[in-house]
Amino acid sequence: MMESIGTDAKAIEVLLVEDSPGDVRLTREALKTAKVLINLYVASDGTEAMAFLKREGGHTNAPRPDLILLDLNLPKKDGREVLGEIKESPALKSIPVVILTTSASEADILKSYLLHANCYITKPVDLKGFLNVVKSIDNFWLSVVRLPHEPR
Amino acid sequence: MASRQNTGVREAAENHLAQTESERQLVEEALRGCEERYRMLLDGIQGYAIFMMDPRGQIVSWNAGAERIKGYSAEEIIGHNFSCFFPPEDIERGAPQEVLRITAANGRHEERGMRVRKDGSRFLASVNITALRDAAGNLRGFSEFSHDLSESKESGAKYQGLLEAAPDAMVVVNQAGEIVLLNLQAEKQFGYRRDELVGQKVKSIIPEGFAERLIADGTRTAAEALAQQIGTGIELYGRRKDGSDFPIEIMLSPLENSEGILVTAAIRNITERKRSEEHLVKTVAELNRSNDELQQFAYVASHDLQEPLRMVASYTQLLAERYKGRLDSDADEFIAYAVDGSNRMQVLIQDLLAYSRAGTNGKAHRKISSDNALKEALTNLRATIQESGAVVTHDLLPMITTDGTQLAQIFQNLVGNAVKYHGAAAPRVHVSAAKTGGDEWIFSVRDNGLGIDPQYFDRIFVLFQRLHGQTEFKGTGIGLTICKKMLERLGGRIWVESQPGKGSTFHFALPEKDGK
Repeated sequence: MMESIGTDAKAIEVLLVEDSPGDVRLTREALKTAKVLINLYVASDGTEAMAFLKREGGHTNAPRPDLILLDLNLPKKDGREVLGEIKESPALKSIPVVILTTSASEADILKSYLLHANCYITKPVDLKGFLNVVKSIDNFWLSVVRLPHEPR
Repeated sequence: MASRQNTGVREAAENHLAQTESERQLVEEALRGCEERYRMLLDGIQGYAIFMMDPRGQIVSWNAGAERIKGYSAEEIIGHNFSCFFPPEDIERGAPQEVLRITAANGRHEERGMRVRKDGSRFLASVNITALRDAAGNLRGFSEFSHDLSESKESGAKYQGLLEAAPDAMVVVNQAGEIVLLNLQAEKQFGYRRDELVGQKVKSIIPEGFAERLIADGTRTAAEALAQQIGTGIELYGRRKDGSDFPIEIMLSPLENSEGILVTAAIRNITERKRSEEHLVKTVAELNRSNDELQQFAYVASHDLQEPLRMVASYTQLLAERYKGRLDSDADEFIAYAVDGSNRMQVLIQDLLAYSRAGTNGKAHRKISSDNALKEALTNLRATIQESGAVVTHDLLPMITTDGTQLAQIFQNLVGNAVKYHGAAAPRVHVSAAKTGGDEWIFSVRDNGLGIDPQYFDRIFVLFQRLHGQTEFKGTGIGLTICKKMLERLGGRIWVESQPGKGSTFHFALPEKDGK
């Protein structure tokens, strides 16, 4: 599944790698109130995410995301592999990756940081918590921090 | 004159003859008496078989003791060869002839060996044989006197009685490895009649290699053997008459008596014990597996249930937020119940997850301050304590070797409960610790709260069991269950003392591993 919202040229490009349509919709609902314009792209499994990032298959015109929101438990290629490939790729490793997952396991947290995840967030189980988390991601990564320009 | 003389000579001769005849009669009488006295003497000796043989071993005389011990009457046995007293296997290897040869060569021979009675039964005999030679040194025959060792004082009837009283199969073996005595239990266990076993090699009922060892053990000094075997039962297999094996445990005990060393083997059939041991091992393994599966199930179920539930909860909440007042009042009410139900289910699932995880990722035990563990718990409870206006006090708590993180969680649950279940008065909670005589610390969390009816003491530690409705006190009933599980994993235990209206004191014990 591939979709995007908003087409503003100054918009911030965000790739959400998430297999649950419910979570996609919730994320989108939360981002509706974002202060900045966001183009949200969704990849529903790890293979599709890598194709998007490498502009392969039907993604030849895909933009380079400014931020990646990555779930760990994904069909086909799981989030840990996707994270590893991004951080090993000279072209992609400067893109901040936020792990957004249901897993609260210590092992997953440690593994993710060892693979150079930029931060790790466990999805809150209640709606308010979830909306707040997405809002703070939006606030911190898209407003507070300065992101690198795409290397030429 | 001559005739008178002749008459006188004849008379003298007749007189002499008469005298000689009476003397002869006297001598004969004396001899007869003597022989009879000997006969009486020999027959009076009931405890010994005494008989004479010709140089080839044919029996020529037989006393009453021999009749009693061997079972043959004099008429039956005289003229037969003494080899019939030997077991067939000894006859086969020429033992009777060998015994006579040795006796003839040495003058006398002593031995202890198995002998067979007329009825085929065997007994261990002590045998003395003497070669009989005339003045010229020609071998005229042999005399034998022997007795049944099982009748002797040490190993006789009294000993047999002792054996019969034993609950185990008892077998007494001589140095030659032959069974000398056995009890009823031994007959039952091995499936033989007594007379089938007496005189047999012990290796026919217990494994060969061990039989040799048994005998070797027997020939060492009693003290040595005793020192070696204290508390050590040796597990082996016994063989029944029908050839089937069964597990046994043997205790050996040497018995030194005037006839040498005998080894008493107490043989216990441990089939039942083996079976129950195996059953126990199997049951424990099954129990562990089922526990592991349950643990795994609880984790997977709660973890995987959480995902779809999060969707239900999130979207009903979204519905409630976006559409409250925009549908009709029924819709609002229905949505409210859906939101409430999914929220409560989320809490239950999280508690279940917490319970299934409790104590599973325990840290290594090290010496920690239980005072610090309590302080950590109180920090986490700060908001709750302030809200309720509770006063929490504590004694100085000891250093203890345990998992500090879990101890803090236990304190947090107990103090949290003490603050939560309060009556009209503001909660007062006191935490103390005492060293018992043994090697454990007992911690106590005392409150002035509602108290608990003793009939619920067990129930409060069971998963999701509560004494109050959600409207009185919120919660799922997980806290004490988690405490109990953690304490069990830490090698401790938890219990409560309470009266309704008089507050509760929760005690928990933790082992002090240093023993100091």
